[in-house]
Parts: sequence; structure tokens; C-alpha cells
Amino acid sequence: MDTLEICYMSAGDLSKLVKSKEISPVEIIDAHLTRIEATEPVLNSFITLLADESRKAAKQAEKDIQAGRYKGPLHGIPVGLKDLYNTGGVRTTSGSKIFDNFIPDEDCTVAAKFQQAGAILLGKLNMHQFAYGPTGENPDYGHMHNPWNPEMITGGSSGGSGSAAAAGQCTITTGSDTGGSIRIPAALCGIVGLKPTYGLVSRWGLTALSWSLDHPGPMVRTVEDAAITMNVIAGHDPKDVASAKVDIPDYTTALTGDVRGLRIGMPKEYFEAPLDPQVRKAVLDAISVLESMGAVVKEVSFPMFNQSQAISSTVLMAEASAFHRDLLEQDGHQLYEPVRQRLEAGLFITAADYLRAQQARTILDQEGRRLLDEVDLLAGPTEPIVAPEIMAPRVLAGEQEIGVVGALTQYTRPYNINGFPAISVPCGFSDTGLPIGLQLAGKPFDELTVLRAAHAYEQATDWHTRRPPL
Amino acid sequence: MASEKQLSREDFDRIAELQGITGEPAYLDELFAQARGVFMMAETIKGIDVTGVEPEMAFIPPTD
Repeated sequence: MDTLEICYMSAGDLSKLVKSKEISPVEIIDAHLTRIEATEPVLNSFITLLADESRKAAKQAEKDIQAGRYKGPLHGIPVGLKDLYNTGGVRTTSGSKIFDNFIPDEDCTVAAKFQQAGAILLGKLNMHQFAYGPTGENPDYGHMHNPWNPEMITGGSSGGSGSAAAAGQCTITTGSDTGGSIRIPAALCGIVGLKPTYGLVSRWGLTALSWSLDHPGPMVRTVEDAAITMNVIAGHDPKDVASAKVDIPDYTTALTGDVRGLRIGMPKEYFEAPLDPQVRKAVLDAISVLESMGAVVKEVSFPMFNQSQAISSTVLMAEASAFHRDLLEQDGHQLYEPVRQRLEAGLFITAADYLRAQQARTILDQEGRRLLDEVDLLAGPTEPIVAPEIMAPRVLAGEQEIGVVGALTQYTRPYNINGFPAISVPCGFSDTGLPIGLQLAGKPFDELTVLRAAHAYEQATDWHTRRPPL
Repeated sequence: MASEKQLSREDFDRIAELQGITGEPAYLDELFAQARGVFMMAETIKGIDVTGVEPEMAFIPPTD
């Protein structure tokens, strides 16, 4: 099997070969390290690459599997963690040179779960500084580059995760999503990104951005891999005060391909907002595919969508500024200027304004829940645009020129506000060869329905088989 | 602090001083624009009728 073929295999497919001993974790890791060496000068996906460590771990995994100690579908599979996931003994920078030498004493809960599952940590992935931006810029470790066109952004803040997964540098990657930071790079890089329900995946040991909006989750090339990853990382963690105590299903049981009778709502407000016509067409075509497979599609109304930027920004900025208050005072001059400005602007939000935003958040949540009594899923574009040029401050979305931050978070923020599960799955390409994402959102803790619909759509199309020209 | 008026430069400078925010003039000009944006967002949210609605309590773990 050649290097590229191994690197583009899903964890689902690789795991069968690993279990049957047709392929060794050593071969898998070597293939990925070769791929990284070839592509990293262009992409800059990694802040810390663990070449020697991952080779050593692969040899141990090979030994364990040969001895019959197979741990499950992620045993021997390479995983990359966004560099705000604490990893014991491995530096964790949060994308900033301020923490260039910070080495956590222990793994965050998610890293520990991957370790227990036998996954092999390949490295720590590049990100927008402190996760505080949706583009994937990083002046300290270098900007991230989109594998489909390296002059374009990956999206952020989990930009390195997006590029690493899309380019076959790593099989499983993780991100964190506060205003869209898993789904934005997933859509712009042409991969699958799942923001789970708030509280389903532990935040313990991750550098926070906004306590009530942060969601860790998988960024992978197939919906099956998202389900396999969720089987490993989801679940109650007493160390996370917001961790949900719910039963965790086997998420791979969602992968039936059957969407007959599934009720899908298309919020009309999504299609009234600034939106590139090619994106509009691709997303509407995608929803039509689901309809042709038996889903029942109807237009719904989500008026609070139009307030989501104000609500999300007020909550996020206030919480981020509170969390990083000491950092601002001590090391503010070392911060990337746009990040520093956002943190300092957050200091102007009053407690009364923050709480009013939280009241408005309740209304948005209630509206979403009422909608999801009428339908099973809400569908629309993940992004209103395809990836713009790196450092572009404004973008054209349809006929409107808007700020890049507002554009990239336009459709993602509502599901951070209400905490509902939301996935981005590839649904086409622009005429310039850049990926387009379909976003599906469901009821709290109904990842099974979200994954079922995303998987069915994915398997009915071939977008997920395309590879960037790298 | 949010009012129906826009945030004045004088008010911004005073709040920035109280918050310990310093910087070059160009930086503070850009930050002033962002701070004005914060006040505009507050105005937008003030337009939402939140009568009888309690704030979303972020740290009660969801149990749906």
C-alpha cells in the first residue's frame, strides 16, 4: 500500500487492517510522517511534531496488537490535538509564544481518553492565537494554509486541524468550537467537523476561551470517523463543572444510511443573509439529495438567528476577557494585536449587558427547541463563502461586502449559543476549487440523528473522496 | 454603562485608563472602534424583549 493511500484512509478502514494485522501502526505512522515532511513547508499545520515519540508509540502498539492486546478502532491510529489541549510532558502553547515553554504535568481528559484507546499522538496542531479568531492566522508560529489553495485561509481557530486532516497528514484531529472554530475550518478545508452538544465532551485541561461557549470535538475526513472518535471522547467528566451526565450511545449505530421520514427544516433567515450564490446552490442541492433519499424538507423560521452575532459576541467577549485578564495585564504587549484588541474590547462589556445577553440567549435556546419539536434537524450552509485570501479583512458574500469575522461566524454562532450538536460535512466545491460545507444541527444530545443524516448524505455523494492537489 | 448614546472618545479614554489599557495612538483608535461596536451590540440586545426570562445558567450541566 503506498504512502498516500495509507494517509487518506479513514480510521474506520485503517482499523480493520490494523485489527487483522494486515498493516502495522509502524507503517501507518511512517507514512504520515513522510506525508507531513512533504507538505508541512506549505501548510504549517503543526506547532509540535512528535516524530520520535510517535514512532516509539507505534512500535509499542504493534507489539501489543501482535500479542492480542487490541484496544479498539483507534489503536495504532494517528491523532493530532489542537494545541490548547493539555498533553502531559508535551508543550502546549495555545498558539502563543507566551506559552512556548509551557509543558503540562498531565493530559487533559480528552488526551487521556485517546491514550487509553491506543491512539498515537502525532503532534500538536497550529491554531489561531488563544483560539480567538476564525481565520487561522498566527504571527508566532506562522499562518495556516488551506490545502486546496495555500494562498487561502484554513479558517479557524482550529486551522491546523483542518489542514492536517484534509491533506492526509493525520487521520484523526481535534478542535475546539466557541463561535465556529471546528466547523469553519471543516467547511473551508473540505472535511467533517462535529461540534457536539455542550457538556458532552470534557473541556477539562483545555485552555478556555469562553467557558459557556467552548465545545471540544473531532475534525476528520468521514462521518464514520467522527462517530468512532465520539465513542472514545464523549462522556461525563467530574473534573469539568459543565460536563453532562447522560448515557453515551454507540455513535456508530447511527451510520445506517437511512433518512426516510427524517424531518429537515431550512431556516429562511439563513438564505436571506449574505450568501455566495455558488454556496447557496451547493447547499440547496445537498438538501435536495437528502430529500430524494426520503427526508421531508420544509422551510422554517428562526428569527433569533438575526440576533445571534450580538448575543454570542457579548457573552464570548466578556468571558474571554475575564479568563485572560491576568494574561492581558502581564503579557498583553506580546499578544497578536487583533487578539489583544478583542480581549481589551471585552473589558467594556458591563455585567448588566452580559446578563441581558444571557437572557436573550435563553430566548434563542427556547426558539431552537421549539423548532426542533417541529423538525429533527436544521440545515443550511456552514459558511456563506468559500475560503478567502489570508489576511483579507473583508469578503464578498453574494452582493454584500462584509467583515471576514462576521462572515465566517454567521451560521455557526447560534449553535454555540444554544449548545445544540452541529456538524459540517463537505457538499461541493466552488468553480475555483474551494470546498463548501453543509451544516446540520439537531436536538441536544441527539448526535445520533445528526450523524445519521450527515453519513447518509456523505455516502450518497463523492465529495469526501476528493483530495487537495498537494 | 451602556447608554442610548454612542460611546464618546472621552468616555472610552476614561474607561481605558480605569481598565489599565495603554497603547500607541493607532492601536487605541482601532480599539475605540471595537469598543463602540461593543456598545452597539448592547443596544441591539436591549431591543430584545427579555421580560420574564432568566439568564441562561451556563454552569448547570445539561441533562436533556
